[in-house]
Amino acid sequence: MTGLGWGVKSLGRHPLRTALSLAGIAVASAMLLDMVMLSGGIEKSFSDLLLARGYQIRLTPKGTLPFDTEASIGGASHAVRTIRADSGVEAAGAVLGTSIYGRAHDSLVTLFGYGIQPEAQGIYQVTAGADLAPGDTLGVLLSETAAQLLGAAPGDTVTLVGRLDPQMADAAVGRRLAVRGEVRWIYDYRGQPSVGTVLPVMQRLGRDAAEDRASLLLVKVADGAAVEDVAARLRERFPHLEVSSVADLVVQAKRRLVYFTQLSYVLGGMSLIVAVLLVGTLLTITVNERLGEIATLRAIGVSRGTIVRQVFAEGTALTVLGAGFGIVLGLATAEYLDAILTSFPGLPASFSFFVPRADTLGLAALVLLVTGSLAGLYPAWLASRAPIAATLRAEAT
Amino acid sequence: MLVARDLRKDYPMNGETVHALRGASLTVEPGEYVALVGPSGSGKSTLLQIVGGIDTPTAGTVEILGTRLETLSDRELTRLRLTRLGFVFQRFHLLPVLTARENVELPMAEAGVKGADRRARARRLLDYVGLGHREGHRATQLSGGEMQRVAIARALANRPAVLLADEPTGELDAATGQEILDLFRRLNTDGTTLLVVTHDERLAAQAGRTVHMLDGRIVSEAAAP
Repeated sequence: MTGLGWGVKSLGRHPLRTALSLAGIAVASAMLLDMVMLSGGIEKSFSDLLLARGYQIRLTPKGTLPFDTEASIGGASHAVRTIRADSGVEAAGAVLGTSIYGRAHDSLVTLFGYGIQPEAQGIYQVTAGADLAPGDTLGVLLSETAAQLLGAAPGDTVTLVGRLDPQMADAAVGRRLAVRGEVRWIYDYRGQPSVGTVLPVMQRLGRDAAEDRASLLLVKVADGAAVEDVAARLRERFPHLEVSSVADLVVQAKRRLVYFTQLSYVLGGMSLIVAVLLVGTLLTITVNERLGEIATLRAIGVSRGTIVRQVFAEGTALTVLGAGFGIVLGLATAEYLDAILTSFPGLPASFSFFVPRADTLGLAALVLLVTGSLAGLYPAWLASRAPIAATLRAEAT
Repeated sequence: MLVARDLRKDYPMNGETVHALRGASLTVEPGEYVALVGPSGSGKSTLLQIVGGIDTPTAGTVEILGTRLETLSDRELTRLRLTRLGFVFQRFHLLPVLTARENVELPMAEAGVKGADRRARARRLLDYVGLGHREGHRATQLSGGEMQRVAIARALANRPAVLLADEPTGELDAATGQEILDLFRRLNTDGTTLLVVTHDERLAAQAGRTVHMLDGRIVSEAAAP
């Protein structure tokens, strides 16, 4: 009978007490797990989102983040040509974001319009039909929600209108376009009705044609080139624009979401303390109940080391079992909480707050295991130091 | 084999000093069966605990198989208890989560005996005490007499030089107690040295020598007729 086997068996002496303790440890572990996922998840999710199509650098109007304001960049086509001329750049494209309308039967529905350069785009993935060809001024791409609102599918024709005059309730500019495909716009929030056309078409629909405006420029760095070196050259070339690498944007996003990170650290720490207290309390009670038994074991020649290992094994077994249940519980609650948080307006649908990562989960499990086991330190010491003769005398009376 | 010289044991209780032993000396020879008798509080259990190395005397010395206990470290003393002494207690003190066989195996596992060897020996010992058929039962599933017999098998696990028992029939009814007495007699006949603290006159009567204690002193000794 090894110390671990004996320790695990000892947990079965008081099944209800053990079950309640396991439930407590599982809840604390689940919370710790969620907080660990939250603390690193925002950063990971945001980084994954930005790199979804491999574009590592964004150029935006000075002092803004992509789609953060309605500010835009003039002379977008020229800027893109200049960027593409850089030897460290593999691809570059402009994106314009603007509000437009679509005609659905006899009414107009509000849409978000993307102007894109299909040969260099980093903001969507085609899910049905075909992509726009470069220079395709007659085609349009729809999000799933936009397709539903407009009652259109690839191959159909839709009418988009822009420059709507609120006083006249009519459109100054209208275009009939053929739906080429259905796409998932990476930065759309859940249920956002978005459409995309080549940049000049959207500029005309959105009042920006004359100045060739774009909301942001996307840059994919060539293999072998350093992102930060290219970003530095672009900052020199475009001093009036904000040039941000993904790392820069992640830092800025972290600054904005610092409350989540702080909250996760505080709650994660508290969860750990609760788990430690639970394990420590249970083992202390257990050891105190079994002092007579432990004194007997010492009397028959069982070493202090064996006693310590046995109590440690109980603590470890409790922690491992509790954490096992906690992982299942934590993943379920993370999914539920993520669904609530990502339904907040303005957040991309593909963004996640709780991202399970093997390294952070492993670290959390290790910290929990170590601290849970250490929680057995005092009870183990107590057990090994029990005075044999006095304890046996007390047991006999 | 076992020599205790002029043992004294004082300990504080409620602000006063209790003199549990006042100069007790005892010798037990190999193969002997010695019963320690006397009224409650006469120091029998304290003497047994001191000669068994689970308590320390205030003064005096104990020698087991030529080894002076006071010269041993805690680790060495623990090892000596494990390998040279066997203990049987009034309340059995088996581990309730383990089976009868696992309880008997425990001291052997601690002593480093390999799994197959200790399982085989545990079975032999359980057969010896008449519980071979109960080896897979947990301690909580055994009667008082059965638990004490398992405790005796456990005490014999590492082939001790002397078996020390403290009121081994104290928790048992007369019939069950008789089974333990019979077992002790058989153990002694088979060569086991026994030192037993008891109130049980039947047990004292079957011992080869009876040592009487009173107020922490050995007041008389009598060999069996």
